[in-house]
Amino acid sequence: MNFINDDIFMAEEKFEPKITCFVCNWCTYTGADLAGTSRLKQQTNARLIRVPCTGRIDPVFIIKAFESGADGVLVSGCHPADCHYNTGNYHARRRWIFFRELLKQVGIPESRLHFSWVSASEGKKWVDVVNGVIDTVRKEGPFEDYHKVNTEFAFPEPEEAVCS
Amino acid sequence: MQAMKQFITTDEKLRQLVHALSKNAWNIISAGKEGTNFIYINDGKDLVINADSKPTKLSAKEFFFPKTEPLFFYKKNHDGVDLLDPKDVLRKTVLFGVKPCDAAAVPVMGKVFNWDYKDEFFNRRVEQTVIIGMACSYSDVYCFCTSTGLSPESSKGSDVFLKPAQNSSYIAEAVTPKGEAFVVEFSSFFDAANENDVKLLLNSPKGPEKKFDANQVKQWLDGHFEDPLWNEVGETCLGCAQCAFTCPTCHCFDIVDESCGYNCGRRVKNWDGCQFGLFTKHASGHNPRGHQPERYRQRISHKFKYYQDKFGEILCTGCGRCTRGCPVGIDIAEIAQEINKRNSVLV
Amino acid sequence: MQELIQAAQAALTSKEAAFIIGYALTPDGKKTRPFIARTPDEAAKLVFNHTCAHNLAVYLTRIAKPKEGKMGIVAKGCDTRAIVALIQENKITRDQVYIIGVNCSGVTADVTLPFGADNLPSKCIMCQVQVPPVSDVLVGTAAPYDKPKDAVTERMQLLEAMNEHERFAFWASEFEKCIKCYACRQTCPMCYCEQCIVDKTVPRWIESSASLRGNFSWNMIRAFHLAGRCIGCGECERACPMDIPLMLLNRKMGMVAMQQFNYRHGVNPEEPTLVGSYNMQDNNEFFK
Ligand code: SF4
Ligand code: SF4
Ligand code: SF4
Ligand code: SF4
Ligand code: SF4
Repeated sequence: MNFINDDIFMAEEKFEPKITCFVCNWCTYTGADLAGTSRLKQQTNARLIRVPCTGRIDPVFIIKAFESGADGVLVSGCHPADCHYNTGNYHARRRWIFFRELLKQVGIPESRLHFSWVSASEGKKWVDVVNGVIDTVRKEGPFEDYHKVNTEFAFPEPEEAVCS
Repeated sequence: MQAMKQFITTDEKLRQLVHALSKNAWNIISAGKEGTNFIYINDGKDLVINADSKPTKLSAKEFFFPKTEPLFFYKKNHDGVDLLDPKDVLRKTVLFGVKPCDAAAVPVMGKVFNWDYKDEFFNRRVEQTVIIGMACSYSDVYCFCTSTGLSPESSKGSDVFLKPAQNSSYIAEAVTPKGEAFVVEFSSFFDAANENDVKLLLNSPKGPEKKFDANQVKQWLDGHFEDPLWNEVGETCLGCAQCAFTCPTCHCFDIVDESCGYNCGRRVKNWDGCQFGLFTKHASGHNPRGHQPERYRQRISHKFKYYQDKFGEILCTGCGRCTRGCPVGIDIAEIAQEINKRNSVLV
Repeated sequence: MQELIQAAQAALTSKEAAFIIGYALTPDGKKTRPFIARTPDEAAKLVFNHTCAHNLAVYLTRIAKPKEGKMGIVAKGCDTRAIVALIQENKITRDQVYIIGVNCSGVTADVTLPFGADNLPSKCIMCQVQVPPVSDVLVGTAAPYDKPKDAVTERMQLLEAMNEHERFAFWASEFEKCIKCYACRQTCPMCYCEQCIVDKTVPRWIESSASLRGNFSWNMIRAFHLAGRCIGCGECERACPMDIPLMLLNRKMGMVAMQQFNYRHGVNPEEPTLVGSYNMQDNNEFFK
């Protein structure tokens, strides 16, 4: 719970999930941009991190997102056969096949990690995907299991700083 | 001079003692069941006081020198950085059933932690802790306490030392003033021992055979910084430092900053080990100990020569953990034995 | 034994191999440990028995490559998988190694106890390669032995039956024990990176502290780096001083490789590696 202390997400009464999105520069980021310039409305829980290609997304980024307090992660890039670098997304897809299963084995359910292909022209699809992910994670609630492993890193309140 | 203060207690009373301690908010640590680790307990029935048990996987050093210890926390603010000390909430702690090879390591490590800079983290933990040592009747092929100047009955490092006697009773010696104060504070669990009680003591455990002479090892090391032996013994070492991490006397650490996000974090002290290639690697990329045999030489030399040179003691208590756990079967006692052999050829 | 020594001596005498990585008895004569023989005389010390559990292929990427001659290695069937895997990953070539294959009758899980059905590591219970599939010379005999139920498989089923929170709690309690000694990495024949991700400091992706957060990321990332690459020798788990059941992760990754790609690493030296290649027909179902 130590990512960015945006007050709007700190509202007590309703849980608002934090979603970290890793998107490729050529398709999904451009698609999300299109959604913006077309003035499509979407929920604001998603933070985008732009990378050159889905092939550039090291699984450690996703773990880092959870460590930094994300409740859900979305990974998105060019459709198969559409990769700007021809095969980046194929390589990435193969890695995710393993990584998803690994996370499940460790107890991180599918509802926390989502994948999509969104092209530069699919502004509408981007909005639907993001809204869908946000709704799913909101239903799941805060990712408390993972937040718990983080607590010792946060700057403690003076009375909490312990040396046990 | 007054003789060592001796008391008699029983298995049952020690379990009741746990109960009393836990009521008084002490931290109580007991050696886990065979082969496992020291654990925190709250209930007398979880106490393991077993002279026959195998040494735990990790030594007791983690209670004085934890694998990870925060030194301070930091947070950036508008004008600079806020610093916060970890608050000292250490409770009084008692460690039950510590083997002589683990207990003796505490004063040994104490020397390096109090040499020029006084390590308050280590010292604070030692001050807060009462070590109840226990004579040991376990010994396997890996044990060699008797070669390091200790024995299965040495009370070095213990505050109170237990020796098993008949009818599940124990003769307890108050070894240090702290131990004496402890026994006095909890006097309902310890009765003064008379001559007849002492007669109940079980036979002293035999202990492992003496494998080498540490002084001779040092003599040889004095003149053999370069020697073919290092390659022979060190070339199959995989550099995993399992030996250093499980060792009760290894005390190297690394200080790193870890962030919690974008504006805060903590500085921590973590265990480190000289068998890692990274241990001596310079920022330039140069590594003065570039190969595993050189790192293994460091391990042996630090234990039997450098520490001896500087502090007059060897940095090994003979618990055998390094050898018990080494994935490739490197045996420190056997190497010391080999050095002894080479030394006697010289003499 | 004589066969093994003769094979090793022949390779050293003919200078085909510069050294032989093998096993020798410890002075007490009860167990074995890795030993590198450089002369025919030294080769006379080589042995093979039930205590030769170590996967010596780990040394192929640790030891300096000889200027002349090959790296000789004594390899059980399971170890040859690591050698083939290293060939697949272009770490070594087939003609850099001289493999003395040993027919194997199983090894002990705990070297201090006698060999038997109750003292078998998981790899031997599941073994299909008692006769090494690849070798330059083959020695010894492979005797059948009794195989009990595999404990790892049973634990996998237990884990399977848990819900996500229970599973997370299970791993939290296991990873909490990790002391970040990296023995798992150092003994792994497939962990040969010059700089491991956990040693990278700018930026630091994985904390070196032995605290839960860094322990989670370390163990997950190591398992991921071994996905489709782990050859199942179990050395990581054998070396782990804290007895963390690392094979529950590695086995899972191996199952994914088998079920989704019908692939086993370290079987065919010509085959491209799984994660280093791709197929347009790979599973696409989980993408929105
Ligand atoms: S445990 Fe053994 S292999 Fe590991 S660093 Fe120590 S001596 Fe080397
Ligand atoms: S897995 Fe097979 S080849 Fe390997 S040690 Fe066990 S029985 Fe021998
Ligand atoms: S991950 Fe473990 S089982 Fe797999 S190859 Fe490495 S050491 Fe062997
Ligand atoms: S854990 Fe990953 S980065 Fe580290 S040595 Fe193994 S494969 Fe390489
Ligand atoms: S060997 Fe075990 S304790 Fe050591 S780093 Fe690996 S998992 Fe952690």
